[in-house]
Amino acid sequence: MRDTTGIEDLLRRHAPQVLGALVRRYGHFDTAEDAVQEALLAAARQWPEHGVPENPRGWLIRVASRRLTDALRAEEARRAREEKAAALEPREPYTAEPPREDDTLSLLFLCCHPELTPTAQIALTLRAVGGLTTAEIARAYLVPEATMAQRISRAKAKVRGVRFGRPDNWAERLPAVLHTLYLIFNEGYTATSGPSLTRRELAGEAIRLTRAVHRLLPEAGEVAGLLALMLLTDARRAARTGPHGELVPLDEQDRDRWDEAAIEEGVALVTRALSQGPAGPYQLRAAIAAVHDEAPSARATDWHEILGLYEVLVRLVPGPVERLNRAVAVAMVDGPHAGLAELDVLADELGEGHRPDAVRGHLLERAGDLAAARAAYESAAARTLSLPEQRYLRTRAARLGP
Amino acid sequence: MKYLVMVQGTQADYDGMQGKPTPGSPAWSEAEMQAMFAHMGAINDDLSETGELIDAQGLTEPARTRLVALGADGKAVITDGPYSETKELMAGYWVLECASLERVTEIADRVTRCPLPEGAANRAVVIRPIGEGGGDI
Repeated sequence: MRDTTGIEDLLRRHAPQVLGALVRRYGHFDTAEDAVQEALLAAARQWPEHGVPENPRGWLIRVASRRLTDALRAEEARRAREEKAAALEPREPYTAEPPREDDTLSLLFLCCHPELTPTAQIALTLRAVGGLTTAEIARAYLVPEATMAQRISRAKAKVRGVRFGRPDNWAERLPAVLHTLYLIFNEGYTATSGPSLTRRELAGEAIRLTRAVHRLLPEAGEVAGLLALMLLTDARRAARTGPHGELVPLDEQDRDRWDEAAIEEGVALVTRALSQGPAGPYQLRAAIAAVHDEAPSARATDWHEILGLYEVLVRLVPGPVERLNRAVAVAMVDGPHAGLAELDVLADELGEGHRPDAVRGHLLERAGDLAAARAAYESAAARTLSLPEQRYLRTRAARLGP
Repeated sequence: MKYLVMVQGTQADYDGMQGKPTPGSPAWSEAEMQAMFAHMGAINDDLSETGELIDAQGLTEPARTRLVALGADGKAVITDGPYSETKELMAGYWVLECASLERVTEIADRVTRCPLPEGAANRAVVIRPIGEGGGDI
């Protein structure tokens, strides 16, 4: 039987370790990355037909190494021809070392290098660490493949000379890595544009990578926090969309469809992380998600606790999204008018996004001002690019009558 | 330390692999060939994983050997094959980076356990340390 999903998982799992082994042995991150992609493609073609080799990771390293040395030789020959000088540079010292799990981290730090823009970091991470093809990444981000290929090759050129390994200031640079993983997750969970609400693969990929980082840095509280946040959010996936792909808000979701195992794992992770020192932003967001996930019904949600957590969060991260969410919690505790007053204070900062209007719509609806609520929903619908969200907001508006 | 690890074979062994048996070198079936390739492939995969493999190649039959020597008249003397049917020559090699001679010996031992057709000679595997004076040999 052909088990292509199993093979795909296997390839993705080994991809960063194969690339890490090559980069440690030969250097040349950019060429090595191409060689690994070729080896992954060769495996995806051959294994379903001929069976998975006994040592798949060894197979991938062998094929990728051969591609890499061929490419390096061709490059050297080209350079020698061009420069008409026998550029006999000393080869990098060859060290016999097996792959290390830690390579995944080194690659993540490389892909999330501060020189790179967030979009470049994401693209490079998905390819070099996630083992996704350029075509898959392009599809997930709804850009032409050529555009994504260019983005990736530019990013690779930028990090060409960067030393491979866990950077000395890794703790300082960890937030950038986590932020990239969080953006990948969010893009997968709430696609910012296009017809499909959850681009499953991206969210799953982000969870998989974050899990790998957590395994390598089990004591890093924010890594545990981020993994918990993803699990606790993703646990509601099945309940989050209705039969026609429409968005179902949290308070209307069928909680029986939430993934109990994911909730349990997420709660355990965040509980442990919170007990080990001052809480970072991801731990706080995870704790908030946990309060929602553990409530037996929307009505039974402990909004006092959620508001308390938001108070701490906005002190750490006083961003518009965090403050908007805090305003919602205020409304749940002190009533819609209190929430609307908070929104008014934030109005200038929040700007033109669709979310402030959507929140305003909800609060106005709860306050009984149906005409204003309807206008707010309509305005929000006009501003979002996500089709399911548009549909949800328009339905919401229509429900309030003319 | 780098090592050259060689497997040996005769022209008769190569003939056997191409389906022409001679005493001591039986003909190989397709399944037997595949079993041999699988054995060597698995070794290469494992050596790639441990990082010890630098290069591995199989050589074509001795009949395709070309010898180039310097003649008394100062011109090259070129001889194309063949060797005697039974002369053992290098048939394939690995260049490995290994921690110790014990480790290379372990690898060579695994090579000798290659599945062969009934009656085929199991030829010795040769280890030669590369470069500066032989290290710990």
